[in-house]
Amino acid sequence: MTPWLRRQRALADYTLSALGRRKGKNISLVVIYALIVFLVASIMMFSSGMRREADLVLSEAPELIVQQLTLGRHELIAGGEVEKLAAIRGVTAAKGRLWGYYYDRLNGANYTVMVPDDPTIKLEQGQAILGEAIPRSRGLSWEGAPLFLSRFEGDLVKFDVVDTLSHDSALVSADLMLITEQDFRDFFGLAPDVYTDISVSIRNEREIATIIAKAEKVMPKARFVTRADISRTYQKLFDWREGLLVTLAIAAILAFGIFAAEKASGLSAEETREIGILKAIGWDTGDVIAMKLWEGALVSVGAFLTGAVAAYVHVFLGGAGLFAPVLKGWSVLYPDFALTPQIDVLQLTTLFLVTVLPYVAATLVPIWRVATGDPDQVMR
Amino acid sequence: MIFQTPIMALLLVSGLAGLVALWSAWFGLRVLRRWNLADGSREQLEMERQTHLISTLFGFVMLAEALALLLFVYNADRMANLFVGAMCAVGTLNVNEYGFPALYLKVATFFAAAVWLIVDRADRAGRDYPLTRVKYAGIILLAPLILAGGAVELTYFAGLETDVITSCCSKLFTPANEGLSSEVTGLPPALALWLLGGSGLAVALSGAASLWWGRGQMLFAVSGVVLFFVALAAIISIISLYVYDHPNHHCPFCLLQPEHGYYGYVLYLPLFFGTALALGAGVLQVFVGRPSLRDILPARIRKLIGLSMVAFGLFGLATIWAIVSSQLIVFG
Amino acid sequence: MITLSAVTKLYNEGRPNQMAALDGIDLTVPGDAVTVLTGPSGSGKTTLLSLIGCMARPTSGRVHLNGDMVSGLPESFLTGLRRTTFGFVFQRFNLVRGLSVIENVRLPAVPLGPDHVELTERAMARLEHLGLADKADIPVEYLSGGETQRAAIARALINDAPILIADEPTANLDTVLVNRFLDIVADLRAEGRTVIMTSHDPRIFTASLVDNVVRMVDGRLDTEEAPA
Repeated sequence: MTPWLRRQRALADYTLSALGRRKGKNISLVVIYALIVFLVASIMMFSSGMRREADLVLSEAPELIVQQLTLGRHELIAGGEVEKLAAIRGVTAAKGRLWGYYYDRLNGANYTVMVPDDPTIKLEQGQAILGEAIPRSRGLSWEGAPLFLSRFEGDLVKFDVVDTLSHDSALVSADLMLITEQDFRDFFGLAPDVYTDISVSIRNEREIATIIAKAEKVMPKARFVTRADISRTYQKLFDWREGLLVTLAIAAILAFGIFAAEKASGLSAEETREIGILKAIGWDTGDVIAMKLWEGALVSVGAFLTGAVAAYVHVFLGGAGLFAPVLKGWSVLYPDFALTPQIDVLQLTTLFLVTVLPYVAATLVPIWRVATGDPDQVMR
Repeated sequence: MIFQTPIMALLLVSGLAGLVALWSAWFGLRVLRRWNLADGSREQLEMERQTHLISTLFGFVMLAEALALLLFVYNADRMANLFVGAMCAVGTLNVNEYGFPALYLKVATFFAAAVWLIVDRADRAGRDYPLTRVKYAGIILLAPLILAGGAVELTYFAGLETDVITSCCSKLFTPANEGLSSEVTGLPPALALWLLGGSGLAVALSGAASLWWGRGQMLFAVSGVVLFFVALAAIISIISLYVYDHPNHHCPFCLLQPEHGYYGYVLYLPLFFGTALALGAGVLQVFVGRPSLRDILPARIRKLIGLSMVAFGLFGLATIWAIVSSQLIVFG
Repeated sequence: MITLSAVTKLYNEGRPNQMAALDGIDLTVPGDAVTVLTGPSGSGKTTLLSLIGCMARPTSGRVHLNGDMVSGLPESFLTGLRRTTFGFVFQRFNLVRGLSVIENVRLPAVPLGPDHVELTERAMARLEHLGLADKADIPVEYLSGGETQRAAIARALINDAPILIADEPTANLDTVLVNRFLDIVADLRAEGRTVIMTSHDPRIFTASLVDNVVRMVDGRLDTEEAPA
């Protein structure tokens, strides 16, 4: 070991035994600090988990969605447009999609009703596949219980539930109800050759702009939404919510900073005397600062690790019970799912800077003030 | 303005650094006027004590700025999907005209702060604090740099509009374009590698000369700086191609992405540290004649040069490994 | 050898309550000897001791240690000097409460970055020598007065300082313990160390091993009376 390392080790040794003497005070400091880290880390981990979830869902979405607009509002689109789009060079496939919302008066929830375009999903007339939240909220607890839906007073339509969707993409599929095209058109009273919108698959992502330009000529009144647009909107939405919450948390960090500065400067008479002794027996200002920084580092790292680990447990194992309503948005059919655990260097660095830097900034000046006492004061 | 936690963290760092810079520049002015070690007065003693605070604060600012530099690039990379046309940090930085200046100012601050800290440590080793005036004159120069960096960064983030269509590395680093970046990209690969080898050799020789015979330290510092710029050019011109296994992808930022095994960090971290240490050694060499430092500085400079050579050596190994392990054949 | 020339020390400089603790002191403290500073309380002997021990800088005047001027050194160099040259035993001993005896003894060596094992051995040897080895791991607040003093002496000597500085070392001790202290001082002299202390205890400044007594009054040397 170099002398420098040995000095650091000796200082850390001293700091540890010194910290051990004031357990109550230091533990309360670490607990409050860890709580702040926990708060900020939970928000960050949760919203990054949500962003990832959204990306996961979107990766299976079509590159382009074409919607008809009337009076600036989304309108049903005629089936004839599908061929026009499919004829554009670079388009792999164009398909009409059918989806809509159904308001269930029994539980006050909105379902997304859809005709699956995945050919592997086998559905027959009168059958339905449900997202996991629907049977839960309707109390269809046993296997094979049918779902009855009523569109108006006295009306009742029965669907046999053949399957429920897995939890993997529960964020979007929780309120989903998949039925056949015929059932869909009957249920909503739809004409045979209209669609909600058209999904377009495109071979080369770089050609999207060109293809939209061409399609705009064919369908001047339509709106074109790319997958990237949706992704961007999601990202911004979650970023914005995260930013809002972190701003609130910064208020807490600030309050904590003041508290920490108070702790660091308002040393008890005994601590001040102790530092006086250290200086008198040959510790330099730099040594005292280094010792105090060790103290700060031990407190910070302890709180940072505790807070970050607790947040990880809270968000990825405990379903983020505390913040989920704000970040996800409000919904009766609340998705019940665990986020895929994921943290990265960016998040950890950000978290570190946001929480540790204010603490350091708040305590450095008081530390220095304590460290620069006159060495001969204990002799006076 | 995009409301994002990493951006807030970066602005926090810049804000604190700005405060420290302002305050220490103000203190620096006082030192330049009043510093007098022979004076046993309370005021002198208090100034001496404040230098401890400034050194500690600067150490932290430097640490935070180094982290912030990494975070800045990493975050730019990560935000790329928010901007149409952006595929990596280049696109994000190109969203408005302040992106790249903000990055350059951050890099400049990193080097300046590193050199300042090296001078500070040397100053404290001398019995009469021989470099204190130099140091605080340096702070007065450094403060505007830090403040400008913070201001440009703020302007950059404030002007981030997601509906702007930006151009990314495939457009910027193309030999057919005009401008510095394409000039560098158009640098013939063979020439780039020769230049890199040449400046590497200059670093090795001058470093060896200063370690063995105690001369050539200045030359070493200059070669180190030259190596830094040549290395950046070589990364754009040729090394990146090897890492990407792609004959036309010249981007110096995509290297930092996980798809490429974060190889950029393996290249950049030693390069930056090596350069900072070489710069520090060169600056210390200027003061080697000061009476109270005569016995201390040569050993320190040797140590800095030794460490700097290790860092450059690591960079060299990383470069060679990129070339050797690549599937791409550029020559032959 | 420590030489002071025209040394003045002001407290609360430039404020209304400014006070001259020392006023124009010229003094040579010989090395390899026992020197006692004595005088009534408030006479400035403790301030003088702190200047001799490089604990503070004089407001004006010069202090030379073995021929090198030390009065103009920056604080951190004074500290470095103090660490290696002087060992301090304070009036109230000033051990750090809550730490064990051995931890206290190791404290002055911490900033030097010593080898932990070697340092602990050195500290144990010192405690052994002073008859405190069996108390090494007890917190210092459980020591008796005499033990506390010996722990403080062990701490003062951990960096093997050639000069021991003691401020009123026998203020609260009975005669048995005073004699024990004088034995320790004799031991230190035998090891070739210089001892400089303040005391208004006649049992100390009349002791036979004291080579040199400096009398002070009101911040000046009292030259009326010849040293004993």
